[in-house]
Amino acid sequence: MEMVSEIAAIFHRWNTKLLRQPIFLFFSLIQPLVWFLLFTQAFSAIGDIPVFQTLTGTSSYITFFTAAVIIQTIASSALQAGIGLVNDFDSGFMDKMRVAPISKSAILFGKLFSDAISTIIQVVIILLIGLALGVTVASGILGVLMILVIAAAFGIAWSGISLFVALTSKSSQTTLSVGLLTTFPLLFLSASVMPLELLPNWVQQVAKINPFTYIAQAFQNLIIKGLVWDSVGYAFIAILVIGVISLGASILVFRKKVS
Amino acid sequence: MQDIVIVEDLRKTYGKDIVAVDGISFRVHEGEIFGFLGPNGAGKSTTIKILTTLLEKSAGKAIIDNLDIDADQAKVRRIIGYCSQEVGVDDDLTARENLMLQCSFHHIPRDRAEEKTEELLKKVRLTDAADRRLKTFSGGMRKRLDLASSLVSDPKVLFLDEPTTGLDPQSRQDVWEYIKELSKRGMTIFLTTQYMEEADRLADRLCIVDQGKIVAEGTPAELKAQVGADKIRLWFRADDTEACEKAAKGLSNLPDIDEVGKCVTGIATEEGLEITAKNGAAVVTQVVRTLDKAGVSIEQLRLTVPTLDEVFLKFTGKTLNVVERKEAVRPGRRRG
Repeated sequence: MEMVSEIAAIFHRWNTKLLRQPIFLFFSLIQPLVWFLLFTQAFSAIGDIPVFQTLTGTSSYITFFTAAVIIQTIASSALQAGIGLVNDFDSGFMDKMRVAPISKSAILFGKLFSDAISTIIQVVIILLIGLALGVTVASGILGVLMILVIAAAFGIAWSGISLFVALTSKSSQTTLSVGLLTTFPLLFLSASVMPLELLPNWVQQVAKINPFTYIAQAFQNLIIKGLVWDSVGYAFIAILVIGVISLGASILVFRKKVS
Repeated sequence: MQDIVIVEDLRKTYGKDIVAVDGISFRVHEGEIFGFLGPNGAGKSTTIKILTTLLEKSAGKAIIDNLDIDADQAKVRRIIGYCSQEVGVDDDLTARENLMLQCSFHHIPRDRAEEKTEELLKKVRLTDAADRRLKTFSGGMRKRLDLASSLVSDPKVLFLDEPTTGLDPQSRQDVWEYIKELSKRGMTIFLTTQYMEEADRLADRLCIVDQGKIVAEGTPAELKAQVGADKIRLWFRADDTEACEKAAKGLSNLPDIDEVGKCVTGIATEEGLEITAKNGAAVVTQVVRTLDKAGVSIEQLRLTVPTLDEVFLKFTGKTLNVVERKEAVRPGRRRG
């Protein structure tokens, strides 16, 4: 039970820091929003293609693309998760926590749960902007909640990669560049910007093993069609796989570094 | 007196070649301030990190309050406090929030934590700044908060890694006073420093460390006694050997003087006459009076008392840092 209060204390600390620096919350939103507003305008004609309509169930490219914007936001903020830890190592605060009689995992999970909160805030902002642009969520309130749960869970799992890089490199630059270098290729090599069937064959093969595809399809279905449970299920399987690997590796490295 | 920290043959090596701590042994008595004095890279931080369970030792034994630092790591963490060189406080939070957070790390219930925070803020004179974010704090204020935050659990042993490095003189004074106050209340304090003045003023006992080894150990007074007594040097007008000889003869009869050297001319560093005495400051008046009676005039007089830096020089063959020599009496010219 002690661990719950430890996680709560660290969770509270990061939330306070987040609220003191709300600018960071919007920082990782800027790029996705530019895409949301401009990319969808330039490519809006895609919605007129009959195959696109049959495959996706919508004639609005921006509605389809909303999933990609959400994923991009989650990924770019998740991949900054490690930076807070690097700062703690540099400032000596990590040593203070290590000397204290608290569980090492609490240090990680308190941070991850706080990051999940900021992810949820960001996704809500995107959905509201989408609403203003005419994007409605077909699955209703329940679907929106589902999107937020998937977003938070995916954010936590994806953060594990950043934590791992941060812990092994102990450099915020390396941690940041991993985030910048991976997000876009993964986005374009998935079913986020185009339905799977319309992608070139080799991209399709990559997309099938790219977790972004399953998250994107879950979001797309929730937004366009309604509560499609099998795609939600695939999304959670993808999250589980990434989460076990990335967080498992992070906890292992963290335990080793700070035991 | 009981030994609360026992370190035996402690070693820390990195890879094959780098030896950070080279088999050191020492004991810290309960309730004393124990200093670790040495230059950068001497192994001070490594030692303190091992004792605070932050770093694994390569060999040796370390016991804190009858607990083995490896086998009873979790228990050790409950009885120690640690202030790192880096000042481990969160700049985005206020002083009060920082202390409350530390309290929650030590599982102190909320109402007790609020009391404790208030009490500690008052102790380190930060009550007025309690609700300000640390971004606006000076270096000294941050260090004081850091000290307070390592005290929330009422540690039995407090470890301070270079507590005043980078602080201005006034803040340094404040930190010193606070450390002394903690010691008066019975807390055992282990501190590392590269300032001999700090070691001299604070430590009840200290070790001088260099290149991972302890080269000397004792109270500051014991250590200084090892490099010898106080020295008074007299300079005479150039080539005035007659005056020098006359002075040497007159002074050799004074009972409080241990030794009067030979008159030296021409060698810049040894020029003049050197007198050795146990209590130099008290002897100066007698020296001056004797010279006055004998009608000998001098150019310059200098009293030198041994410093820890000289102790360091004696044991390691190099100086610790810029010497802050105590020059007590230095009249430009004195006529007899």
